[in-house]
Amino acid sequence: MFVLGIAGLNIEIINKYNYVKDMCRDYIVDDNNNIDFSVEVSEADIVKEQSTARIACSEEYCESICIYRSISGKLINYNAFLLHGACIEYHGNVYVFLAKSGIGKSTHIRLWKKVYGDDVHIINGDKPIIRKAKDGFYVYGTPWCGKEGWNINTSAPLKAFCFIERGADNIINKMPASTVMKRLANQIIMPKEMNEVIPYLDMMDNLIRETDCYLLQCNMEEEAAKVACKCICQR
Amino acid sequence: MKIKSGFVLRNVADSYVVVATGELSKEFNGMVNLNDTGAFLWEIAEKEIDREYMIQALLDNYQVTKEQAVKDVDKFIDIVTDNKFIEE
Repeated sequence: MFVLGIAGLNIEIINKYNYVKDMCRDYIVDDNNNIDFSVEVSEADIVKEQSTARIACSEEYCESICIYRSISGKLINYNAFLLHGACIEYHGNVYVFLAKSGIGKSTHIRLWKKVYGDDVHIINGDKPIIRKAKDGFYVYGTPWCGKEGWNINTSAPLKAFCFIERGADNIINKMPASTVMKRLANQIIMPKEMNEVIPYLDMMDNLIRETDCYLLQCNMEEEAAKVACKCICQR
Repeated sequence: MKIKSGFVLRNVADSYVVVATGELSKEFNGMVNLNDTGAFLWEIAEKEIDREYMIQALLDNYQVTKEQAVKDVDKFIDIVTDNKFIEE
């Protein structure tokens, strides 16, 4: 058992394998008295995860996946949610790049690092948490961060979403709010229960209205990061 | 006939989405996107799917021709039927 401190929450993790604890080492807090909620996954859940995985995975790895899914299911109670995207902090604000797996989120943020160096901090390469505060939405790092292992235990205000598509040239456009949810739906885990779905969708409504959203068609040249930065960071 | 209970229709940032909840979520994964007219017809269809009533409701609330209203309602009924969104 250990206490995971992410997104301003203290989450008690009752683990079977050490893999998840080791993975979470930079996020473990020494505070057993202020637990927001507990997570424990059953052997049956782990076996189910293993049988549905696209590639062969160990039980300990599957436990970590099940634990994060279980955490994500409880986040709505804290005005938070898990997002599949790569996020960077640049001059105090967070920009989240969104696309289906394999389109090139990691490749694109690598270009930002190359062009802007230490001005860019990769908060999370794959699955950050976003949480609503009184003054807006904040992005939080988590230990679940994709194969590159990019993660920082920090948070900063969310500035923009940037959906990525591959293209020959680098073109970026602001998206009308009405077109965002359809794309965002591919990057989130929708709750299943009626009493959770409604507040979740209302949070999405709030999020989309408060956040600048862009569609970036880009190639893998450094120019892609420059075109994106010039547009999304200047507003 | 009407839309199965368990679907939630919500306006999210000027777009209409439908999500299956509870038991229905095992059957329907993902999200349905509707335009303004689609959401209007969905709300009626949650109570009852009555082709003539829906055509008249479109004519009363939108600036459409009878021909267009018939076309929209028939298309809507086809879609909800084909996707098994309805129950007796």
